[in-house]
Amino acid sequence: MSSEAQAAAPGTDAVLSLLAVSKRYHLSEAGQWELKTALLHPIRSLRQGRSRNALWAVRDVTLDVTRGEFFSIVGANGSGKSTLLRLMAGLSRPTKGSVRVAGRISTLLELGSGFHPQVSGRENALVNGLLCGMTRAQVEALLPAIVEFAGLQEFIDQPMRTYSSGMYVRLGFAIAAFMDPEVLLVDEVLAVGDAGFQEKCYDHIASLQAQGVTIVMVTHDLGAVERFSSRAALMERGRIVATGAPAAITARHLERLVETSPEIHRALDEQLEERIAASSEDRRKFEEQLEGNPEFHRLLAEKVAREGGGEATPGGEARS
Amino acid sequence: MTLHAATFGPRGSRSARNGLELLAALTSRELRLRYQGSVFGWAWSLARPLALGVILSFALGKVIGTGIDDYSVFLLVGLFPWFWFQSAVQMSSTTFVGNGGLLKKVRFPRAVLPLSVVLGNTLQFVLALPVLAGFLIFSGHEPRWVWLPGVPLLFVLQLALSCGVALFVASITVFFRDLEHIVEVLLNLLFYITPIIYDAGRIPAGYGWITWANPLAPIAEGWRDVLMFGQWPGVELWASGGLAAFALALGWFSFRRLEDSFADVV
Repeated sequence: MSSEAQAAAPGTDAVLSLLAVSKRYHLSEAGQWELKTALLHPIRSLRQGRSRNALWAVRDVTLDVTRGEFFSIVGANGSGKSTLLRLMAGLSRPTKGSVRVAGRISTLLELGSGFHPQVSGRENALVNGLLCGMTRAQVEALLPAIVEFAGLQEFIDQPMRTYSSGMYVRLGFAIAAFMDPEVLLVDEVLAVGDAGFQEKCYDHIASLQAQGVTIVMVTHDLGAVERFSSRAALMERGRIVATGAPAAITARHLERLVETSPEIHRALDEQLEERIAASSEDRRKFEEQLEGNPEFHRLLAEKVAREGGGEATPGGEARS
Repeated sequence: MTLHAATFGPRGSRSARNGLELLAALTSRELRLRYQGSVFGWAWSLARPLALGVILSFALGKVIGTGIDDYSVFLLVGLFPWFWFQSAVQMSSTTFVGNGGLLKKVRFPRAVLPLSVVLGNTLQFVLALPVLAGFLIFSGHEPRWVWLPGVPLLFVLQLALSCGVALFVASITVFFRDLEHIVEVLLNLLFYITPIIYDAGRIPAGYGWITWANPLAPIAEGWRDVLMFGQWPGVELWASGGLAAFALALGWFSFRRLEDSFADVV
């Protein structure tokens, strides 16, 4: 496809270089040999497993990410974003092509294991830090800051099974936040957790970027892509089909979503019309009611005096 | 849902210190979890060899009659090392399969997963050694000087063998899940072809190769020679040393060869 769009940002300052990277998965038994088939048809079972059930999750991706960039990858579900991130992280090997990384990589990938529910938050943080390559002394030195960032002071010595899912996420992010990475890979993790903490996470990521950390993020949160990233790419069926300014990429992504899915198109149209109709009807009724209500005029005057103007009549409230 | 972080540099930049500390942390977590909340805790690890020792010394020693002197001590000296090997291999076989989430999300020295299980079982064995020594002394087998070089030698051999087999089995199980069950069956067979409930001298002529092909056989005989009879182990132990080294190499290389595809398959 558009190969000229892929090889953006050339030069020597690339922290992360992907050259014609492809990744193939085997479907069904995912590479396992089934004893029965293997015994009955030893040669055929191997050969079939390799050809028939192959899925190319990532196809021929060439990409350079330069130092200090905040690079976002968007795309529909199953377009290969997470696989690409996993290849960048060195968690799996590309079937073809090469991945070159210059610098310490830290991955922030959403997952279900890693923390053990039966042991305390403190011990989990320690094991996590060790898993991430720190020494015990380093983790212990960072622990107070991690606990504070996560806001878990009273809970850190409790077993993690007593934690809420929000607390899990907070501890996980806090550990990652204090890893001192050179490249940070983020996969959709910020979709969980409450809005306040999410904001804190984005702030932290932005401050990391300000310190010169390179960030690659996979997300469906298009707002965040536009707000934070310096460059973005759109993936479709394993390929990077466009790279460029975040706003242009998210617009293209939405466009493609609507194009590829007539249902979304129709749903969007219908809902929009319905809502416009409903809101104008509601608004009219509401305004009529308000006009005849002296209390409203008094409150409005107060509000104007307090805030110096602003929106005072949200439409939906008249429904009741 | 949780999230996870991992930092790593270009290949091999992780310190050996980090690897060892990780191994230690996982081992201690593993051991504490195993007996968490149980009243007798660690003492349970003695229960299996002791119970089997009691029942076998009745069934084989008293009912059938083996004609071996001090049969209950004879059994215990064989059973403690056996359970160390058996649990280490059996429990580590699923460590990669069972930690799929971790393998998919974090890059770390993956060998620590099976090795921490082996190490946990090793620690239990070490803690059980004084108990075993107590039984020996109580039944009139006084401590001998040969224990000093003999016990560490056998310990190292069996540890190497266990690590090698555990790494091999855990790595292959990722691609061939049946292995977990095959290993279970094979371990049951191994128990009977290893001289644990009998001594190697009783193996009829023509079956001697079993002892030579089974790396655990000379080690089991060795434990008995050293602890019970106070003699230096026989020459077969050197063959066993070779096999242990081979197992370690095989385990390590098959692990290295396969580890990069773990995340794609689990």
